[in-house]
Amino acid sequence: MTASGPSSGNVWLWLFQRITAVLLIVVLGLHLWLVNFGQASASLRAVLGVILLGLALFHGLNGVRTVILDFNVGIQGRKLVTVILLLLGAASLLFGMHGLWPLIVGG
Amino acid sequence: MTRRIARLFGRGGDLNPRNLRLGVWAWLIQRISGFILVLFVIAHVIAISQANLALTGPLFTMLDGLRNPFWAVDRTVLVIDLLMLGMIAFHGMNGIRIVMFDIGLGVGLRSHKVIFWSLIAIGIVASGIVIFYGLPLLGGS
Repeated sequence: MTASGPSSGNVWLWLFQRITAVLLIVVLGLHLWLVNFGQASASLRAVLGVILLGLALFHGLNGVRTVILDFNVGIQGRKLVTVILLLLGAASLLFGMHGLWPLIVGG
Repeated sequence: MTRRIARLFGRGGDLNPRNLRLGVWAWLIQRISGFILVLFVIAHVIAISQANLALTGPLFTMLDGLRNPFWAVDRTVLVIDLLMLGMIAFHGMNGIRIVMFDIGLGVGLRSHKVIFWSLIAIGIVASGIVIFYGLPLLGGS
């Protein structure tokens, strides 16, 4: 069992971490391609932006949670870390959607 | 806490660089790069959002304004972006290896090393393509 494996928390979170990892490689590749060659409609870029935002925030913040929980912060610490990261994720998601908004309504 | 750190990094400790093999380096760099990339994603979202909202136009008309030759781009931002690109490439390619390990593909010790270095090579090539085509844009992220 690896340190980042199912033993360190919820098995669904572990599974979603792997699924978002694979999806991120595909969507991030598309993102870099679009930024460089930019041959897609605004609506496609908006959809891609929202998907990338959600995937990156979940994968990133859940990864941070895994790393912090590996330091044995206790049950109270685990709850605190989870709540803080959820709030940070929600705030970042809203801010990102706010930034993408012209693309979403314009597409 | 101090004692725990001393035990980890001291002689014979799990994180003493002398005792680290390739897999532990990969694990450690994966965690550190992941942590830094989260900060980058949030900074990236804030920067893009602010610039985008100030222009009130579609995201990529703003990016058009940033198509400068790389020698004209702010060097600090360029260096940070190149570091981020390297971290993304490493984190992504090593992540593929981790997923392969978890689902039981190529788990032999020798084949696993071959897979690791092959993926790193792919990551370097992919980064090269992004730098070749995207360098004029990198400073603007």
